[in-house]
Amino acid sequence: MKRNYLILTLHLILCLLLAGCWSKKELTDLAIISAMGLDLNAKGEYVSTLQVINPSNVAGGLQGGGGSKGPPVTVYTATGSNIIEVNQIASTKLPRRRYYAHTNLLVIGEELARKEGIGNILDAFERNPEFRMTAVLIIAQGAKASDLLKVMTPVDKIPANKIIKNLRFTEEQWGEFFTINLQNAIKDLTTTGKSTVITGFSVSGSPEQGKKLENIQDSDPETTIGATGLGIFKEGKLISWFEGKTARGTGWILHKLKNTGISFSWMDKEDAVVYQVIREQTKSIPKIKKGKPHITIEVKAEGNIMELRMPADLTDPLVLLKMEKEIEKSIQEELLLALEEAKKNKTDIFGFGEAFHQSYPKEWEKLKEEWHDVRFPELAVDVKVDAYIRRTGLRNNANELQ
Amino acid sequence: MEKAKIGAYQLFVLILLFELGSAVLVPIAIEAKRDAWLAILLGMVGGILLFFVYYRLYRFYPKLVLTEYMEKLVGKILGKILSFGYILFFAYSAARVLRDFGEMLLTYAYVNTPLFIVNTLLILVIIYAIQKGIEVLARTGELFFILLYLLAITGFLLLIFSGLFDLKQLKPFLEDGWGVVLKVVASQTLYVPFGEAIVFAMIFPYLKDSKKIKIAGVSGILLSGINLALVMAINISVLGIDLASRSQFPLLSTVQSIQIAEFLERLDVFFMVSMVIGIFFKVSLYFYAAVSATTILFKIKEPSKLVYPMGLAILFMSITIANSYSEHIKEGLVVTTRFLHPFFLVVIPVILLGIAYLKNWGKKRKSQNGAKNTSVSQKG
Amino acid sequence: MPSFFKLSQRKRLRSKVKQQKEDPMKVDELTEPIYPLLEDQLSFIKRKTGNSADVVVRKASFDEKLGIKTAVVYVEGISNSQAINEFLIQSIIMNRELHRKSPVKDPFDILKEEIVALGDIKIHLEWDGLFQSLMSGETIVLVDGCSKALSASTRGGEQRSIEEPGSQVTVRGPRDGFTESIGTNISLVRRRIQNPNLWVETMKIGTVTKTDVSLVYIKGIAKEDIVNEVRSRLKRIEIDSILESGYIEQLIEDESFTTFPTFYYTERPDIVAGNLLEGRVSIMVNGTPFALIAPTVFIQFFQSVEDYYSRAYLATSLRFLRILIFFISIIAPASYIAGTTFHQEMIPTQLLIAIAAQRETVPFPAFVEALIMEVAFEILREAGVRMPRAVGSAISIVGALVIGQAAVQAGIVSPAMVIIVAITAIANFATPSFAVAISARIIRFLFMVVAATFGFYGIILGILVLAIHLTSLRSFGVPYFAPLAPLVPSGLGDSVVRTPIWALKKRPSLIANKENQTRMGENQHPRPNKSRGMVPRNPQEDQE
Repeated sequence: MKRNYLILTLHLILCLLLAGCWSKKELTDLAIISAMGLDLNAKGEYVSTLQVINPSNVAGGLQGGGGSKGPPVTVYTATGSNIIEVNQIASTKLPRRRYYAHTNLLVIGEELARKEGIGNILDAFERNPEFRMTAVLIIAQGAKASDLLKVMTPVDKIPANKIIKNLRFTEEQWGEFFTINLQNAIKDLTTTGKSTVITGFSVSGSPEQGKKLENIQDSDPETTIGATGLGIFKEGKLISWFEGKTARGTGWILHKLKNTGISFSWMDKEDAVVYQVIREQTKSIPKIKKGKPHITIEVKAEGNIMELRMPADLTDPLVLLKMEKEIEKSIQEELLLALEEAKKNKTDIFGFGEAFHQSYPKEWEKLKEEWHDVRFPELAVDVKVDAYIRRTGLRNNANELQ
Repeated sequence: MEKAKIGAYQLFVLILLFELGSAVLVPIAIEAKRDAWLAILLGMVGGILLFFVYYRLYRFYPKLVLTEYMEKLVGKILGKILSFGYILFFAYSAARVLRDFGEMLLTYAYVNTPLFIVNTLLILVIIYAIQKGIEVLARTGELFFILLYLLAITGFLLLIFSGLFDLKQLKPFLEDGWGVVLKVVASQTLYVPFGEAIVFAMIFPYLKDSKKIKIAGVSGILLSGINLALVMAINISVLGIDLASRSQFPLLSTVQSIQIAEFLERLDVFFMVSMVIGIFFKVSLYFYAAVSATTILFKIKEPSKLVYPMGLAILFMSITIANSYSEHIKEGLVVTTRFLHPFFLVVIPVILLGIAYLKNWGKKRKSQNGAKNTSVSQKG
Repeated sequence: MPSFFKLSQRKRLRSKVKQQKEDPMKVDELTEPIYPLLEDQLSFIKRKTGNSADVVVRKASFDEKLGIKTAVVYVEGISNSQAINEFLIQSIIMNRELHRKSPVKDPFDILKEEIVALGDIKIHLEWDGLFQSLMSGETIVLVDGCSKALSASTRGGEQRSIEEPGSQVTVRGPRDGFTESIGTNISLVRRRIQNPNLWVETMKIGTVTKTDVSLVYIKGIAKEDIVNEVRSRLKRIEIDSILESGYIEQLIEDESFTTFPTFYYTERPDIVAGNLLEGRVSIMVNGTPFALIAPTVFIQFFQSVEDYYSRAYLATSLRFLRILIFFISIIAPASYIAGTTFHQEMIPTQLLIAIAAQRETVPFPAFVEALIMEVAFEILREAGVRMPRAVGSAISIVGALVIGQAAVQAGIVSPAMVIIVAITAIANFATPSFAVAISARIIRFLFMVVAATFGFYGIILGILVLAIHLTSLRSFGVPYFAPLAPLVPSGLGDSVVRTPIWALKKRPSLIANKENQTRMGENQHPRPNKSRGMVPRNPQEDQE
């Protein structure tokens, strides 16, 4: 009997081996897609752009002699009526199997974001196990996603990487734009009390020139990509762009800011001193006062004076205190600006609604129907800023011309 | 019954691995939304009570397993019918869990592989393990318990370092009130996974030190309950209630969100490891209970020969019980949790316990009467 | 089913054949008693040994008057010629005036008690015993007219002196190793355990070779059941030759369908002594320096004797390292294959691009590439073993150059693969026990196949199967994975970690005798004198 079982098992094993491996994917058969872009064309169809990595042009291997100076990425476009179809049509052009597991960037054209909104599109990405939910989402501002993805970038060979790193460091150092990934975006979309905010990138210079490899042969490339605005959404559709101080104000309230520089006027000189924020803490505290919703925003900032363009005695703590007041005023302005704009657009991008939901669930039931259109614009907001100047860099007073 | 001896610590490990098995991977109690963790904790309490029912039955018949003392309590014919029912129940449960596992693996890792292959591989390993006996299973459990906990703690630490926790997502507390929570407890968490501990009623007689069963069992259920509640709470904090309730496998989505230092990404393989381990033990224990019950019922002399055919039967069952994953889940919610589980896990054992108490009380009475008749006083 | 019938047919044939065949092991002649006449005796001996040139027969007669003829028979080469000359032949020849002392006594007794000046003498009544003694190096003294023979122990001959053991070299610790002579080996152990409870039971196993096999244990510390079991298994062996302890290991082990050893073997007497003190049993075989130790648990193969001579922290970290190394040597190539073939999402993007770039030029799929590299490495390793020392270094250069550089540049394998194979090979060499390292090599290939077919799922299942297999093994009744599974908390102090010596108060409970488990007194933790530290000093002391 033992022998028979042995034979049976052998048969099973042979069957398994003979039939081949179903889920096997050889590395050389994969087209590693680093970024994907979606646009809407005139007919209302989706146009997808796939940025595929050419590994041999990226990695400096020791074999194969001097690697051919080809572009590190190749871009393919295709048109179709839904996401899956459009990508499958792309496979007619790709020499390999599409592999999305390393797609770290998703670009949505501005037109698509305005007309259709992003809600429906994101479903295909959520459902597919190959996609990473940690992929970064950006909007192509004033351009098509395909144009954005075709631009060659210096320093970082793969443009998708450049955009992602760009976003990450500007979030840290300037604070106007921040990183949103798919998971966050979907979370926001499905929460009644918060609207989505997505950073926008635009192409400066001619997209045609940007496609060419010569673009990066210059020390000063003609065409570059940069973060230029913060896209404000309402009910999944893009409605407006925040830029400059408004964008930074949003960053303050959403507690996305890490370091940034705030210039304020001193002694009647505009932008005389620059205060560099090192750390900040923002709390949005919802309260119901007399049956009406009320939010208190408390900001605590710490930083150093990093540029002094006019004489001032920084060794005197009282001077510093006065400066702190100025800083607080500046910050408060920015915050109020952002709040104004958001209210004007009738969309609660700060998540105040959700805060009410969490703390006052019963009242929220009544508030939530018209939150974005009515309640939010009426929301009473108190902004309190506390700024501290800790240090002044390596010098105390400014150099004085003699 | 085989000649095996398990220690109390091994029982604890087996209970823990069994309870965590598949429950940590599927969205249990998600109808309670943000209070899912609370529903789990309450279910755990219920589970401990059920465990005491099984334990008390064991104390009445320390050398017999569930299907054996069933015959003694309700009579031979009814007992045999019930035993057969339990065999089917155990086999069906094993097939269900196996199907769960296969679907999970196919959904995100091996999309093109047929379900048959994936399930067959696991069944072959389980057959190998069961043939070696419960002692080997227990020892393997001890080894993998350590591995599983190391993985869990590492995952937890990584989650903390990614800064993905947002405890505010757990608010508002009890948004929908106690009603929903209790309903979920009564219809779901009590049975899956805590009530399923009935399989251990087939294993209690193997313990070396029967006094320690109580503490091993209670601590096992306690620890697993806390773990499950914690996992659900983590899922909701990281994903938000919407994503967590829409995900087929919320823990997988949580693990996929980990992104540290640009190279620790997409750690779903760790998820796969814990899944295989957990499901392996769950299916093995159900399978073992089924084989054990069959051996006793049909008085088979060589149980090891029974293992192969039953394994194949469970394999085929797992493939044929449902056409699609949604059907499988729906079947679980409608048929299993509403009818099968309450019947087999709660009603029958409680009735059995009642009968056992009556019999015992009757016996005591008899012995007391007998003592009175013979004029020898006995301390009852 | 035809195969069924063939099976039973074959069984029937086999049993028939068994009955008809004679047992070739037994030779009937030798059970006969010894012939009385000297000439007959000597001619029988000569015939039996085929007139072998090294069987020396020295006739002598003692006592002038009685004229009793004797013969001294010994085998040159395995006996100590000097002892024979001095204490036997000389004694016999010099003894001329025996009749004066005791005329009526049996010459045999005279021989035994007054002439043979050696210790360890035996009297043989049958040829069987006589030949056993003769062939093991003892000298036979035959007396004309007696059906008895006297054998005296004169074992000697050329042997290897005690040197440093070839395997299991340590930095700290004794440097003597076993040799091929069982007497020397037992003496090395005795020197370390100077206790009368160290019992040595010797038996001859092997019907043709009649090898001396000794069972060594410490009475009172070793479990009686285990000793009895070992003894009965040894007695059950029926084989013509025992040339090495490996034969015995394979004949009495618990489970032969496994790649993992259930016996521990060693060349070092301090290891044997240490294990005996924990309650284990040792089997020593004449002709080999490797002694067996039973029962064993898996974790022993990751412990080196140096762990006990070093301090706890070093020992513990080294043990962790070894376990990690073992896992690497099993799983590394399989993980690489699984990662690059099934689960590319796991690899960070930059690394993936680098690997993809490398693999662009390689024509084979990852599995075949791994297989080629691993097989090539195994071939290299075997070649290195066979090569004479002088050429050995050439192998390493050839190996490194050919495989490493040229294959990569020719585009046959990718550099990443070379790195993986190199790491695996080094990890394999670092495993402390050779037997386990060999198992790891075999298992590594199985894992590679499984990984190539099923990816990480296959690897996990493989680990499961491995764990189930290992935990189901037993070594003389002791579960192979104790003290980890089943968990024996008292044994944990010396398993994966090594708590300091003063914490290891008890012997392993599964192996040692229950009554005799405490081996250390209380409070053995070294406590320095309180005179250090901030203690008020006696001012008068300072003045002195």
